[in-house]
Amino acid sequence: MAETHSLQDLRQAAVASKVFVQRDYASGTICKFQTKFPAELESRIDKQQFEETMQTLNNLYAEAEKLGGRSYLEGCLACLTAYTIFLCMETHYEKVLKKIAKYIQEQNEKIFAPLGLLLTDPIERGLRVVEITIFEDRSIGSR
Amino acid sequence: MPSGSMSGGVSGPTSPPQPTVPSRPLRPSRYVPVSAATAFLVGSTSLFFCFTCPWLSEQFSVAVPIYNGIMFLFVLANFCMATFMDPGIFPRAEEDEDKEDDFRAPLYKTVEIRGIQVRMKWCSTCRFYRPPRCSHCSVCDNCVEDFDHHCPWVNNCIGRRNYRYFFLFLISLTAHIMGVFGFGLLFILYHTQQLDRVHSAVTMAVMCVAGLFFIPVAGLTGFHVVLVARGRTTNEQVTGKFRGGVNPFTNGCFRNVSHVLCSSQAPRYLGRKKKAQTVSVQPPFLRPQLTEAQLAAKVLDNGIHGDLHRSKSSLEMMESQSADAEPPPPPKPELRYPGMSRGPAGHPEESSLLNKAPPTPTMFKYRPTYSSPGKNHTALTHAYANQMSRGDSLKESSSSLLQSSQQPGYRSEPSLDGCEVGGAERSGAERTGGGPGGPPASGIPGYSLGGRSYPSFSDPTVLTGGASRSSSVRSSHNAPPSEATTSTSYKSLANQTPPPGPRNGSLSYDSLLTPSESPEFESAAPEMPPGRPRAPGVGYSSPYLSAQIAQQREAELHQPSASSAVLLASPQHAVYLRGSIASPPAPPERERERLLHDSQPHHHHHHHHHHHHRPPRFSRPPLLSDSGPTQPSYPYRTRSTDTPLPPNTHPPRSPHPPPLGKSLSYSSAAAAEMQYRLVRKASASVGGGGIQAPKDEIQMKSYSRTNGQPKPPFTPSSPSHPVSVSTRPGQAYSSAGSSQSPAHKPGGGVKKVTGVGGTTYEISV
Repeated sequence: MAETHSLQDLRQAAVASKVFVQRDYASGTICKFQTKFPAELESRIDKQQFEETMQTLNNLYAEAEKLGGRSYLEGCLACLTAYTIFLCMETHYEKVLKKIAKYIQEQNEKIFAPLGLLLTDPIERGLRVVEITIFEDRSIGSR
Repeated sequence: MPSGSMSGGVSGPTSPPQPTVPSRPLRPSRYVPVSAATAFLVGSTSLFFCFTCPWLSEQFSVAVPIYNGIMFLFVLANFCMATFMDPGIFPRAEEDEDKEDDFRAPLYKTVEIRGIQVRMKWCSTCRFYRPPRCSHCSVCDNCVEDFDHHCPWVNNCIGRRNYRYFFLFLISLTAHIMGVFGFGLLFILYHTQQLDRVHSAVTMAVMCVAGLFFIPVAGLTGFHVVLVARGRTTNEQVTGKFRGGVNPFTNGCFRNVSHVLCSSQAPRYLGRKKKAQTVSVQPPFLRPQLTEAQLAAKVLDNGIHGDLHRSKSSLEMMESQSADAEPPPPPKPELRYPGMSRGPAGHPEESSLLNKAPPTPTMFKYRPTYSSPGKNHTALTHAYANQMSRGDSLKESSSSLLQSSQQPGYRSEPSLDGCEVGGAERSGAERTGGGPGGPPASGIPGYSLGGRSYPSFSDPTVLTGGASRSSSVRSSHNAPPSEATTSTSYKSLANQTPPPGPRNGSLSYDSLLTPSESPEFESAAPEMPPGRPRAPGVGYSSPYLSAQIAQQREAELHQPSASSAVLLASPQHAVYLRGSIASPPAPPERERERLLHDSQPHHHHHHHHHHHHRPPRFSRPPLLSDSGPTQPSYPYRTRSTDTPLPPNTHPPRSPHPPPLGKSLSYSSAAAAEMQYRLVRKASASVGGGGIQAPKDEIQMKSYSRTNGQPKPPFTPSSPSHPVSVSTRPGQAYSSAGSSQSPAHKPGGGVKKVTGVGGTTYEISV
């Protein structure tokens, strides 16, 4: 839940519902989320915008899971140091996850929050779903 | 050590709200194998270094102990990583996530991966639909991503994150054992005159230990080399998921190997620091510009959302589930979309989902995008039908089913697996035979066909008839019980161990109310009465419904043998079901099916596993259609069904084709199932009642046969993984046997094999 209970957050809007965008397994078990526009967001956000956000996320995850020279070198180095390198170095995937977290934060601030939505980083859900919280719109003519 | 996670050094969640893995009681017996393995490894190597290496380094070169030292270090590092690293445990889903997957959510969701239908099972412990290749380990009580197996020698699950280390551990251990043995032998050969010395004795002892462990370790290593090359997990191999040969997860040998060895370390899901939400969301909110179409849709939707929300969500759940269950008869078109009669202009996206159905924005509006879009609408409608307890909703669902069944798009697709001759032929025949609304042409649901999972409802008349019947049954019978049961969430039911209710086969309300959560060995489900010409694809998720329908059907169809109520679950006889599905369109198939039906009335279970009443989560809706092989897609329908067997006397329970089924169905299973079906037929003819033994044998035989490997490949693994690997098959067999035996008793109950937390071992018999 995005709501907290500090004073300043009391003004946070109430959560109306949550939408869960599931993984898209059409290409296997690579991390990819469905870009299909959920019906519940119909009136809240542009389809285009949403799809663009999801596509960017998918691209970032693809980059994290890429089998390239970089990940191979990382593996070799880890092997040679008896995996002690993991104590000091951050893996490639983790680096990309940080990038994704930053991206989601930025999207939330710029695009989603003004529309009364909030994206939750899927890593908190085990990369199974992207949770979009829809906030109640108490303004006139809402919904 | 209880599922420790070492990567990153964080063990367990740090903040209270974080979804955590519940702590389990300490079980000392879990640590015996790992302690023994560690002791042998460290002890033997130390003795080797102390007694053998000094002489070797003097005699030959200092490189000998250095090489052995490095090798040993490598073994230890990989052993530690395999032991302490989080294998890829999924955190429990939070409450709000499964709100939609509520009471009537189906037990399975189907998703298409590269054209192959794969089933995702609802994990009642973890509260989500297990992603493909994920499995719940009953030892660790966690769902693990890319679950390979639970290794007792490292006392940890082997999953996505630590498979690489486990694999390297095996390889390095093999090399290390060979090195120790070789150098020890060298030592002995040079000391044949001084064998009474302590050094020689110790060296010989170390050689013995090394030689003893070499065989199982090398065997297991070879086994895993093959698995890695083929892109399979131990779980998939052991349960025979890809017997037919089509593995949707493989990318070719080189890419499979590079994925295992060279991919970046996967992140852990547990124990992550939860970022505080810094973005404040406050009204007033902006609104996007609405297009004309959206406005029109909004108008149409008005007032329907709330009413249908519940059913819709359940419907959505059901759509994939229907793949496993017998789809309910297609609802009448006009009743299909409640309240939508005025709204033909639904959302363009959604209307495209159902080719011929009027667009129903409300139907899909709340559907979470679980499965690939466009594929589940039929299932959705079916699910919807299944779930409805109210009469009108049933009608709606039936009409939707009818619609979906009539959609040509869902028919047969060419089977992806070329080797599934049987399946392909069958599907081909079905295809030709069934047009939209025709007899179960849609035939075997996707299992054999590359991408479709819900073919079954092809026969509109049967379906409609069934639907109306079922609806009446449902409303009359199911309403009260369903109310009662729905009050308890399906999930909670799923989590319970079924009470020892009346399992004597009588269709009792109590038994219906007490779904049992058992692992996938549903075996207990009674077979569908043979010869039921029911159109395939008619399935209901509600056990009540199925029971009623089964009873009605029995009456109608005057089955020779008491047909087990559809209620009962399910056994997974996809093969059988598939065959029966195709009956109308393919006369030859029909004959075969008839024969099969007659001989093995239990086959219907496959689709009717939804023995439990409502909560689809528990079990797949028992196939209402008696023979209705509608469900074909999954060979491994396992859900246990506690529903009591109807007073049926089916002697043979449908043996599950593959000995260990999984919740995932693959098109390759079709061919395998065909084989089993024939095998079973033979076995069934042997004797009605006591089929247990032969069935098990046959299953095991077929298992080993279809496994694509001779038995030997498993023997090496068994010593090394006596608990982890072999238990599974063993358990599968035993569960199959045990589950089957009760079923075989006249009106016997269903035996469930449950793991911890009600999860199964991912293998269904």
